[in-house]
Amino acid sequence: MTVAIGEPVRRVEARDKVTGGARYTEDVRAADTAYAALVGSAISAGRVRSIDARQAERAPGVLTVITHTNRPDFAAQPPTPYTAEGRMPLADDRIHYAGQYIAVVVAETQEQADHAATLVQADYQRTSPVPTLDAALPAAYIPRQNGLVRFPSEYRRGHAETALAASPVRLEQEYRTATLSHAPMEPSSTLAYWEGDRLTIYDSSQAVHTHRALVATAFGLPEDRVRMISSFVGGGFGNKSFAWPHVFIAPMAARVVRRPVRVTISRKQVFTGTGHMAATVQAVRLGADREGRLRALIHDSTNQTSFIDDRQEGAAGTTPYMYAIPDVYARMRVAKVSTGTGGAMRTPGDSAGAFALESALDELAYKIGMDPVELRRRNHADTDPVSGRPWSGKRLLACYEQAAERFGWDRRKAEPGSMRDGDDLVGYGMAGGQRMEHQSRARATVHLSDEGTAVIRSSTVEIGGGGLTTLSQVAAEGLGLPVGAVTFEHGDTDLPASSPTFGSLTSGSAGSAVRLAAQDALRAAIELAVGDRRSPLHGADPDDVVAHESGLRLRDRPDRAESYRELLRRNRVNSLRGDGDFQPAGETAGYAMATFGAHFTEVRINRHLPRVRVVRHVAAFSIGRVLNARTARNQAQGGIIMRLGAALMESQRPDPVSGRFISPALTDYHVPVNADIGEVDVLFVGEPDTNANPLGARGLGEISAVGICASVANAVYHATGRRVRSLPITPDKLL
Amino acid sequence: MLPFHYTRAGDIAEALRILSRDEGATLIAGGTDLVTLMRDGIRAASHLVDVNGLGLDEIHWLPEGGVRIGALCRNAVDDARLRREYPVLAEALRSGASPQIRNRASVGGNLLQQTRCTYFRLPEFACNRRTPGAGCSAIEGDSHLQAIFGASPQCTAVHPSDFSVALQALDAVVLTEGTRGRRRIPVDDFFRLPGTTPHLTTELRRDELVVGVELPGGPLAARSHYVKFRERASYAFALVSAAVAVEVRGGTVRSARVALGGVAAKPWRSPAAEEALIGRPLDEEAAAAAGDAAARGARPQRHNGYKVELVRRVVRQALSELG
Ligand SMILES: Cc1cc2nc3c(=O)[nH]c(=O)nc-3n(C[C@H](O)[C@H](O)[C@H](O)COP(=O)(O)OP(=O)(O)OC[C@H]3O[C@@H](n4cnc5c(N)ncnc54)[C@H](O)[C@@H]3O)c2cc1C
Repeated sequence: MTVAIGEPVRRVEARDKVTGGARYTEDVRAADTAYAALVGSAISAGRVRSIDARQAERAPGVLTVITHTNRPDFAAQPPTPYTAEGRMPLADDRIHYAGQYIAVVVAETQEQADHAATLVQADYQRTSPVPTLDAALPAAYIPRQNGLVRFPSEYRRGHAETALAASPVRLEQEYRTATLSHAPMEPSSTLAYWEGDRLTIYDSSQAVHTHRALVATAFGLPEDRVRMISSFVGGGFGNKSFAWPHVFIAPMAARVVRRPVRVTISRKQVFTGTGHMAATVQAVRLGADREGRLRALIHDSTNQTSFIDDRQEGAAGTTPYMYAIPDVYARMRVAKVSTGTGGAMRTPGDSAGAFALESALDELAYKIGMDPVELRRRNHADTDPVSGRPWSGKRLLACYEQAAERFGWDRRKAEPGSMRDGDDLVGYGMAGGQRMEHQSRARATVHLSDEGTAVIRSSTVEIGGGGLTTLSQVAAEGLGLPVGAVTFEHGDTDLPASSPTFGSLTSGSAGSAVRLAAQDALRAAIELAVGDRRSPLHGADPDDVVAHESGLRLRDRPDRAESYRELLRRNRVNSLRGDGDFQPAGETAGYAMATFGAHFTEVRINRHLPRVRVVRHVAAFSIGRVLNARTARNQAQGGIIMRLGAALMESQRPDPVSGRFISPALTDYHVPVNADIGEVDVLFVGEPDTNANPLGARGLGEISAVGICASVANAVYHATGRRVRSLPITPDKLL
Repeated sequence: MLPFHYTRAGDIAEALRILSRDEGATLIAGGTDLVTLMRDGIRAASHLVDVNGLGLDEIHWLPEGGVRIGALCRNAVDDARLRREYPVLAEALRSGASPQIRNRASVGGNLLQQTRCTYFRLPEFACNRRTPGAGCSAIEGDSHLQAIFGASPQCTAVHPSDFSVALQALDAVVLTEGTRGRRRIPVDDFFRLPGTTPHLTTELRRDELVVGVELPGGPLAARSHYVKFRERASYAFALVSAAVAVEVRGGTVRSARVALGGVAAKPWRSPAAEEALIGRPLDEEAAAAAGDAAARGARPQRHNGYKVELVRRVVRQALSELG
């Protein structure tokens, strides 16, 4: 049998990407396209008293200027959170955050639109903004609509307060995470055109079927009148998983000018117009006995949200599932700030939450003089503490063990500041991570042709994670084909609806759909063969026939075999179609599902000029079956590096007076550069987890980015004796 | 971005002619700063005068000692003799921006680049530099990256250049040419502090251009060094930087130069730090004393107290690495 799954196959689209052949949304051309520029609000709270667009309208090439006073109506407000904001663009004169779109200028060229946008004059009535999370904290509350509702905003088991009071060892600390920007390379782009009442929309979307439904609702159309296409996405990290205002602006403007309209947001608008990970303040209280057994945990998180939406950053969502603690209370509140609505950013809730919880555990380990790995082992949750169900394929203990060994954790001297190398303070730190796995319905078809090749048809979007490659491997293995014989039609609502490309759904859900489709196609081929008198497999029991080297054979009789090519041609069948429809088992599965990780970090800090350098990071993940050793490693390294940025430098600071973000440019919003990255070593401890789904794979994209910040902060403490509880760990905090 | 005229000047006279005729004319060299500012609506020019055709891109060693660097030499200039005789200059240049930007950015443009103060660069905020008399949003705002020396109630921005800090430590002279003739302006006089006129950042006149910088010869430069401290390993402006040059004879320091970056609206010379070094051996104690002296008189804002300690440490580090 061809073994394709797990092989380090190169990305199927790699060549196209490096030669310019891959077509991104911005590359799509439509005849007679007009271009829009979006005018952002200069204030962060108040009203637009009036807009003078006369000068802009007279500027060369301008077709129209659309504002709240002359816009066409939307049919309805589609639901949040996949519609990112619970307010349609240009709805009224209210301003909720700096940069909120107040006008749309449409012109013959992008340059003309950009120029005319600078001529739009707005007169504002200012009200006083709530600029920061600190200013908003006193008015924090449990959200009325908590976003994805994957976790309740409040969770309770036992009596945490009482158990805490009775615990011999107690710890109470506050941790803070900064507002973060996704900062993808590709600014979001949308091209929309109408043909009668049919709408075609090219959009840099991570989820075409999900977003199509929203657009259809907004314009009052049946879904089948809207086609959405997203071929390749140039980095999203979640900022393209929700439909932001520009997605609705493009079709609206196209309707007004009766031409195709392109909206590509500016680099600055990437920072204000497509969300962020909201800043959090998290109080953690831990109670334990002297042997390190946890007795009580209270995790209370508040995140900033906008005046438009109650968007919960679920920082305490996974907390109840993580350790075997009898008494737990978790709460998540929001506080309204004059800022845009937060989005989903790798990894929603868990990245911020793990920083707090896993830092607190490290503090506790020091307090009772126990190795932090041992502390976690002692509190390992053998079954899911929330549902009581067994875990499906949890190998977290193996993660600790293998990563610790690879890292050389036994060389660590526990005392802070005790490991030095010349002027460098050396620190070792570790942390764990967990992400609750979820699944989504996903469909795919696989067409097996009389050339002995196969085509996968599924609307999954390639966002850079390698999904096209891993799914091709799944189909190839299912049909016994070389990976090169599989091609992919993807990212289009005319194709079978896959799962969205976010929430780590691709491997488990989209992958299972492709597997089922491949099995279905195989079944059809087998049926054809056993019923065909001219086939060497004629009359065989279908269960004894397997896929083998681009064809079929009897399991125990290698000589009774034939290729798909021969079989299909002889029967004059051009292609056989297999359908895959993966329906998550959900509650009935009887298992609790999550992905797990363990991180070990070595930092070095010059004692005179203390900038934290992460020279080495070792991580191990329990994600079930690894579909492609190369793309998985790449994906995990990316997640780790992304969070190293959050640990050490990333922060979208609000102006303390207006709340406007003051780093809306890549010059100021620092992400790691190559020189910042040391060795990043990744291990996978998994084995196929077929309780989870037919493919045995769980998601990697998100778990890879959980626990890193705490691991770094714990290493910094170990190096310096200084506990930094507020991210990012910039030099000023270490002087 | 507003529409503008564009002329690629054939010679200096033509460039000066346009500058003196057209109030809204601006020179453009590499464009790495100006284009961003124009795109963001921070600067507008009715006429761009491209100076890339003027030559002015040579390094000229002077017979009586010293060197002249043309205004259109790129920031990527890599000259073995320069590296040997003026290490601080080569190091400062190499620490700036990224290789791509250094290939494009000119020496003249580097001197004239605008502050990175976010309140200057975002048109939604009030800024006295941009619009005299408009007010300064940075005063009540985030002062993390603002000045600790030489600021005024009208402006707390810092000069972002690394190159200029090295020039300051080398007693460089800025060479200009204008309709009214040539001038030689010591680098310390070339840059201005904000005072009540923060929109005037240099002594350069409207109808003048920078043709080069001149560095004196002499023993100081050979023993010089640049330390830049920033938030990430590369490709970031300095939080604080120090350019130091020391002449040691007979075991003690005869003369010294200490200049700081990231702390003021101009490359900040610290005579007190220099003083602290004179007459003593260049050792750890001297380095620490100079660091302390350099930090004296600093007036931090609300969020940038850390820069004071950084000045101490960066100066000490630069001198220790030199010693
Ligand atoms: C992302 C980024 C990172 C950077 N990081 C650093 C850094 O770490 N350290 C650092 O020092 N710099 C840094 N820079 C700034 C960079 O060095 C400057 O942008 C560059 O030196 C400007 O040179 P230019 O030739 O491109 O100038 P231009 O953009 O063409 O012009 C800048 C200004 O200089 C004027 N000008 C140009 N030439 C002359 C002349 N001959 N006479 C008179 N006026 C003139 C122009 O009129 C304009 O006002 C960075 C820039 C960017 C974009």
